[in-house]
This record gives sequence, structure tokens and C-alpha cells, in this order.
Amino acid sequence: MVIERPWKKWVYFYIPLTVFLVGTLFPFYWMLITAIRPDAELYRSWRAVNNAPFWTLHPTLEHFRDLFAKTTFPYWLWNTFFIAVVSTAISLFCGLLAGYALARLKFPMAGTLGTSIFVTYLVPPTLLFIPLADIIRSFQLGNTPWALILTYPTFLIPFCTWLLMGYFKTIPKELEECARIDGATRFGAMARIIFPIAVPGILSAGIFAFTLSWNEFIYALVFLSSPERKTVPVGVVSEMIRGDIYFWGQLMAGALLGSIPVALVYSFFVEYYVTGLTGSVKG
Amino acid sequence: MAVKTKPIAGGTNGTVAVALPRAREQRTGGLARFLESERMLAALLLAPTVLLLGMFIAYPFVSGVWLALSNTSVGNPGHFVGLHNFVKAWDDSIFQQAFGNTFFYTFWATIFKLALGMWLALLLNRSFRGKRLVRASMLLPFIIPTVLSTFAWRWMFDPTFSVLNWLLYRTGFIVTKIPFLSDGVYGMWCAIVVNTWRGMPFFAITLLAGLQTINPDLHEAASLDGANGWKRFWHVTWPLLKPVTLVVVVFSIIQTFSDFQLIYVLTGGGPANSTHLLATYAYQVGVASGLLGEGAAISLFMLPVLFIVVWVQLRYLRRLEGA
Amino acid sequence: MERRSFLKLTGIAGILAAHRAPAFAQGTKLHIVRWVDFIPEADVELKRQAPEASKALGAEVTLEFINANDLQPRITAAIQSGSGADIIQMLWNWPHLYANALVDVSDVADAIAKGQGGFYDIFTASTKVRGKWLGVPHGVGANAVAYRKSWLAEVGAKEFPKTWDEYREVGKKLKAKGKPIGQALGHSFGDPPTFAYPFLWDFGGAEVDKNGKKVVLNSKGSIEAVKFLQAFWKDCCDEGGLAWDDTNNNRAFHAGEISATLNGASIYIVAKRQKDKIKDDKGEPMVQDIDHAALMPKGPAGQFALYVPFQHAVMKYSKNQKLAKDFLKWLHQDTNYGKWFEVNEGYSVGATKKWENDPMWERIDKPLQVFRQAARASLMLGHPGPASAKATEAYTKYIIVDMFAKAVQGATAEDAVRWAEGELKKIYES
Repeated sequence: MVIERPWKKWVYFYIPLTVFLVGTLFPFYWMLITAIRPDAELYRSWRAVNNAPFWTLHPTLEHFRDLFAKTTFPYWLWNTFFIAVVSTAISLFCGLLAGYALARLKFPMAGTLGTSIFVTYLVPPTLLFIPLADIIRSFQLGNTPWALILTYPTFLIPFCTWLLMGYFKTIPKELEECARIDGATRFGAMARIIFPIAVPGILSAGIFAFTLSWNEFIYALVFLSSPERKTVPVGVVSEMIRGDIYFWGQLMAGALLGSIPVALVYSFFVEYYVTGLTGSVKG
Repeated sequence: MAVKTKPIAGGTNGTVAVALPRAREQRTGGLARFLESERMLAALLLAPTVLLLGMFIAYPFVSGVWLALSNTSVGNPGHFVGLHNFVKAWDDSIFQQAFGNTFFYTFWATIFKLALGMWLALLLNRSFRGKRLVRASMLLPFIIPTVLSTFAWRWMFDPTFSVLNWLLYRTGFIVTKIPFLSDGVYGMWCAIVVNTWRGMPFFAITLLAGLQTINPDLHEAASLDGANGWKRFWHVTWPLLKPVTLVVVVFSIIQTFSDFQLIYVLTGGGPANSTHLLATYAYQVGVASGLLGEGAAISLFMLPVLFIVVWVQLRYLRRLEGA
Repeated sequence: MERRSFLKLTGIAGILAAHRAPAFAQGTKLHIVRWVDFIPEADVELKRQAPEASKALGAEVTLEFINANDLQPRITAAIQSGSGADIIQMLWNWPHLYANALVDVSDVADAIAKGQGGFYDIFTASTKVRGKWLGVPHGVGANAVAYRKSWLAEVGAKEFPKTWDEYREVGKKLKAKGKPIGQALGHSFGDPPTFAYPFLWDFGGAEVDKNGKKVVLNSKGSIEAVKFLQAFWKDCCDEGGLAWDDTNNNRAFHAGEISATLNGASIYIVAKRQKDKIKDDKGEPMVQDIDHAALMPKGPAGQFALYVPFQHAVMKYSKNQKLAKDFLKWLHQDTNYGKWFEVNEGYSVGATKKWENDPMWERIDKPLQVFRQAARASLMLGHPGPASAKATEAYTKYIIVDMFAKAVQGATAEDAVRWAEGELKKIYES
């Protein structure tokens, strides 16, 4: 353990961490207040004496209630979750294998192939959605979650591959070479030695792939049409924004319900890659 | 462990384990040998990726390039016009503004995200009470759908109702409202702030995972050698973090350079195009005006820049590999 | 590339090249996409009518509501991929933009026009393309200047100012009291253009000539308009308006931050429906203090207006074109349309003059009655030229809106106009 003096701990650790926490979470606090604020207060003037942006004396759950009662929000949550999980699984699988191949193996056209995987990022989804709509139609996947599950990997796989390539490169080659000398096949060394070490990378990639799917908007907007099939971002935006009125209470309620549960789930995974990995590199 | 013992010359008793190449148990020859070949294994490993990306990207990508070289508009298949769309865009003052904005936005947002993300990762790398909750909650800006969090920010910057203005006003820092989104310059910086807020957790968590694979013994050794915090970081941590950092930075540059949702929701490109980015302008031209060819051309302007970024990163990674 | 993958790719390329979806039975479902109406009751009414329509037509009618901003990406993807909803709502002059992908519905439209006394001019401009109706006009989102009666009276304006000069005087006094006029000048599809274009026309400016071929923006009228707005903005307006979208002025008005703004009927209607929540500074329901001026003040060259028309278009790729047309005929039957119309309370007005005589107008609050004949006044994008796809391009690029925005932010009027002229020239003359 690196020892440090108490005052240093405060200046270099506690205070910066607090500042980060406040800066990062302040908007969420504010969203929470808006979500439990009764409508009357939402229309209050900036200069009103009783304007209290940071708290409300009459918290109400009506926005959350309306969210569940008047919209198909639970469906959106489920859809988004399902789509995100499956696309992440597919992308991690592909990314893991591809990342290893590109990082460790020598084969002709490795460079070109590697580059071309990343070149796919260079045409943005905001125009790709047009020709993609064509493909989705050809495969008759319109208005099904599979339209998204198969198209999300297009921007998830390059990232997973890339990230895992980076992790693989930091793992010393000697580990595999020892394993192979010990009698393992190349494939076995890969699966049994290297992949376990790369678990923090896999978890990172998984978390981000899941988040990127959760977040995606335009493909979900274009490929899904029934209200029960929509995802959270698309559903919340289309139901809570009507013409020139935003239903702020429900909007913020939807935003919170669409993110806090995910964070809670993440809190378990974060634990995994915090503990237990320094050991394996040593041993 | 397959070893072969050799009597040591000189008559002393003992064995030496010698690692012999290919000294392994013979499995069923075919599959094993097949997978031993680097090329075959690579082919197998890359197959799913190539398949998926080939199906769902290759055609749209080629189609996008074709669109850029044609005068297609919605409902009207166009014909080849060469580089006309690119020239038209280049001469257009709105495009020029969007082009410059995109560089500015990407540059500053990336710097802030890297610096703050790195700092946060170092802070989170310690053990402290509630660390699990803190680490997970730091991810919230990244988790919440961009569309929704940007709406919330939009209201926080609202010209009439900004809670930030209210706070600064009440604590006496300002006397008139700050025109967060109604001024061109402020608007751009607000967008950078929101992008940093949203993207910094990504840097922090990825770098944190990278930090986790660094053997703490190294830190201890360095500290015993008398290195203070900064020196330890620079000489021990940073070199080991470089590959992961590079990956994250490049990915972030690509995402930020082609950012769409944030600007679209926050300002729509206004006021007077001062926050337009290439992606938002391309969308406006392609979808709102229906000029698909021109829109595709505008978004393809991103390609050379991103391509260079990707290429540099791949070269660097290969060099690291060789070293 | 590995041989295996290459073969896969070329095989798939073959399938895609064939470019035909295998046929499947689609004859019994009619899919309609509309915007999410600001008045939730209007959508509720349509959803109620859907099963009735299904029964009348012998097919299943499904209604989908999406955000107005999301209509265009859906339309684009649908047209380009050749499949999607059968009927999609169009706004503005989109029928010109998507002309080649829409079905000629003149038979339906002409029949409705004949029975109801003809469509408003705004539709002839926006929805009739080369003599054919490419959409069935449905309604107009009219706007008016909503203002606080008592506040204007306090500064001496017993009725709404008639000219821009008068309005400026009134506005100066209001802003001095901390209650400025509010106007959006940001990148949003409704409020900014419905202000900017008529304002330009009020002073004699115009984008193009009558033929739509020559750009005539750089004129004395335009420069005067810009100069006037620069002064008006500083003297009278809430300067945050540069960042406003369509919703900001509603919120600002309801919070008592601004005294007047150009908007649809939504400000009044929401104030009425939530009278216990939206109060003025005396604690009374604000709705009692709101009135409307049917048109913006008069400028040297006249008094103009621009409203948002909307139509239903039948898509050419649809396999249910006849069914779609039948549905539209059914929708416009007096009983069905009438119910939707009445629920709107003036936010959307009818597409033909007949609805000006609907008894609803007698029943609703007096301030809402200004919308009765509102649709007669409106011009269209591109005026005095045709409302072609080029006019749409100018609109979606916010050229006129940004011309004013730039000037208000500090550019000289001449520079702002010259910039806009340059942009328009690229659209019209390249």
C-alpha cells in the first residue's frame, strides 16, 4: 500500500471525487425533482419569490403513475432491454474473436481487414439508415426487434473488437507461449488463458455495447412502428412531446426510469472487474 | 508438462527440463492442426464479424458512396454527377461553418474528456467505502439515453428558466442571464460541456479497467524508489495505459466527430448555424430537404479525417506490438 | 479476404441485387402515420374512429403517432426502401418534395372540394403539384398573436397595435417593465418560419420572383425588414428567443415572462384546460387575460401570414391504394371529420371554407374565434414564387430565419441579406 498523509487524502482524493460526483449527478438530481414536481410548479416564473428549483414541497408521483398508466412504457423498457442484451452478446462474441485474431495472429491482409472493420464507422448512421431500411425490408425484419438486434452490431462490433484488441496487446505474449509449450493448442491457449485475463476488457466492452444499444435512436425510430415495440428513447420522445408542449414531468420520469435500473445492474458488474484481476496477471 | 530429461554433462546427477518444440500429445490430427495454423484460426475467428458487417454495412456503405456521387433525392433515383455534390458543399458557407465547428467541438470535448476521465479513473482506482455505488453511479450520464439527458440539459440552459442562471444569480455571480444557448459562442461551449459530461464516464471506466490490470507491485516499487504521485503516474502508469487510452481516444474522436443526437436536440444547429456539425447538417440536407446525394456527400467529408485518425492508431498499435 | 467469406458476400449481394421482397398478403391492413397532435384529445378521437373505419372498410386500420420532427426520416426511409405506412401525413409543401413517390388523389380531393366549397389557397399552393392533388388536405395549424390584455392595457394599448411601428412602441414600454415580447428565432420547424417569412413580406421583401427563377432577396424591402427587426429585437423582445424552439414561448407565456407572442391556439387552450395551475400574478386563472390578434401587425407592404398546412398522402409503394383512398373519403365525411374538428377547438382548422360555419365557432371562447377564417389569409413558402421543392430546401436550411438571427446577433443588415441571398442563389440558380 502506498501510504499518504491525511491532508493529502482530502485534497487529492475526497474533494476532487466529491466535485466529480456533484458535477456528474447534479442533472439527475434536477431530473428527479422535476419528475416529482406537480405541474403547477413547473409553470412558475424564474423570478417568482417562491421559485425553488432544487426542491419541492409537494412531491407527487403522478408523473410516474401517468407514465405507466397512459403509455406503453413497460413494453418499451422490456424491448430496449431485450434488444440491448442480445445485440451486446452478439457483438461481444464477434468482437472477442475478431479482436484476438487481429491482435495476436499473423495472416495476410490482417492490416486491411482490421482497417476495413473500422472504416464501417465512417458513414454515420444518420445516413446509413436509408439504405439499411432497404435491407431490413428485404429480410422482412421491419417492426421486429431483430431489425435492431442485427443492425446494432454494425456499430458495436468495431468498437468491441477495437477495445479488446487494446486489452490483448497489454497481455504479455509469454503467457500464451508458456501455455503452448505446456501442451495447449493455440485455440486452447486463447480460450483458457487469454480470455479469462481479458475479462475486465470484456466487461468494459459489454457495458458500453449495452449502453450504446440502449441509447440508440434513429434506427429504432425508423425500423419500429407499433407502440408496443418501441424502445425507451423513441417512445418517451414521441409520447411526451406533443406539438409544442413538452410533458416535462413524465419526460423526466421516463428518463430516470430508463437509466437508473441499468446503473443498478451495472453496479454488480463493476464489482467484478475491480476485484480479482490483479491476481491473475501476477500468478 | 512434457519434458525430456537430459543427463548433465560432467556426470552429476540431475535433469534439466528442456522445452522442445512440438512436444505435445497428439490429439486427433485434423482439427488440431487446422486450428494451429494462424491463418485458419484467424479466418474462423473473423468469420462471424465479417459476415455480419458484410451483410449490414457493406451494401449500405457502398450505397452511401453512390448517393454522394449522384443527384438522388427522395423518391427520385438520380444519375452519376461525379464530385458535383462535394464541390457544392465545399462552396457553401453553412457547410464551412459546420466543418469548422466539428473540429472545434471534437478537439475540445476530447481533451476535456480525456483529462477528466483519466483523473476520475485514478480516483476510482482506490478502495473506499461505497466505491461500488460510486463507480456505478458515475456511469449514469453515459447510460441515460442521450436524447433524454440532452432535453434535461436543454432545460437547465433554458433562456427563460435556466436553473444554472438562477443559481448564479442568487449567489451573486451574475446580474444578467447568461445566454447559454442563444449566443453562438456560448452555445458551442454548452454543447462541449454536455458532451464532456456524457462521455467522460466512458473514458473513466475504460481507463479504470486498464488501471486494474497494472500490477500494484510496480507502484509500490516506484514509490519505494522515491517517486511521488505525478512521477509514478507518468513513468509507471501512463506507459502501460497507452494502448487502452489510444483505443478509447480514437473511438471517442470518431463518435464526437460524427455526433448527431446531442446537437440536434440541444440547439438544432442554431442559433444561425453556430452549432451545426457535419452530421447534423448532413441530416438536415439529406432528410429535411430530401437531397440525399448532397447529404451523403456532406457526411462523407468526415471520412478522410476519420480515416486518418484510424490509420494512425492502427499503425501505432502495430508498433507497440512489435516493440 | 478468406474465400469462404467472399463467397458469402457475393451470394448475399446477389439476393440484394434482386431487390424484391417476397410477396406476402398485405391486403387487409391499412397503416397510417400521423404526428402526435398537440391536443391529446384529437388523437384520442382518431383512435376512437379507427375501429369504426375498420368496420366500414372491411380492413384493419392502424394509426401510429410519432413526433412531428420524426415524420421526415420515416417518410425518407419508407420511400427509399419502398415499403412502410400506406398513408403518411405531410406538412407544409412536402407533396412537392416527395412528388414522385405519392399517388394522385385528385379524385378524392376534388370530391371533397366540390362538396365543401373548395380548399383554401394555401393548399392549392402546397399540395397541388402540376395540376394533380398529391395529398388530401386535412387541416391548417393557424397562428395568431397571443397577448396579455391587461398588460397591454397598462401601457396604453387598449387593443392590439395595428402596425409594426405601433407594436414597437408598445413593446418598448412592455420590455421596460420586464415583460418583453417573445419570438423564437432558432432552428425549429414551426414558430420561427411562421414569423420570419410574413415579417419579410410585410416589408416588401421576397425570396424569389413570381416565376421562382430569380432570387430577388437583396432588395430595399428585405433590408428594411432586417433593420427593423434589429431595432425591434433590442427594444422589445426577450433576447433568449434565439435559442427558442416551438415550445419555449408557450412555457414563457404561461410563466408570465412574456407579454405577447406569435403562436397557435395552444397557449390559450392549455391555459384554459389547466386553469388551476396556470395563474397570473394576481392569482387568477391566466386564461381570462389572454386574447388573440388574428394577424401580426401591418408593415409598409401589407399584412401577411404563414400557417402550417397538413395533408394525408397515399404512398406509391402502398399495396392498398384503393383502400387508402376509401379511408380518406370516409375520414372526410362530415360526421367523422366534424368530430375531430370540434375536439380541436381551433388549434387545427378545417381545410375548406365549409368549416368556418361549423357551430363550434359559436360555442368556443371568444379569443379562439379569431381562428375561424384564419386559413384564408395564409400564403406559402416561396411566395410569390411557386412552393416548389426549392422553396422547401430554403425553408429546411432556415435561410430566412437565420438571416434575421444573424442580423439580430450583430451582423449588419446588408451583410445578413447578402449572405441569405448567396445561399438562396445556390439553391435556385445552381
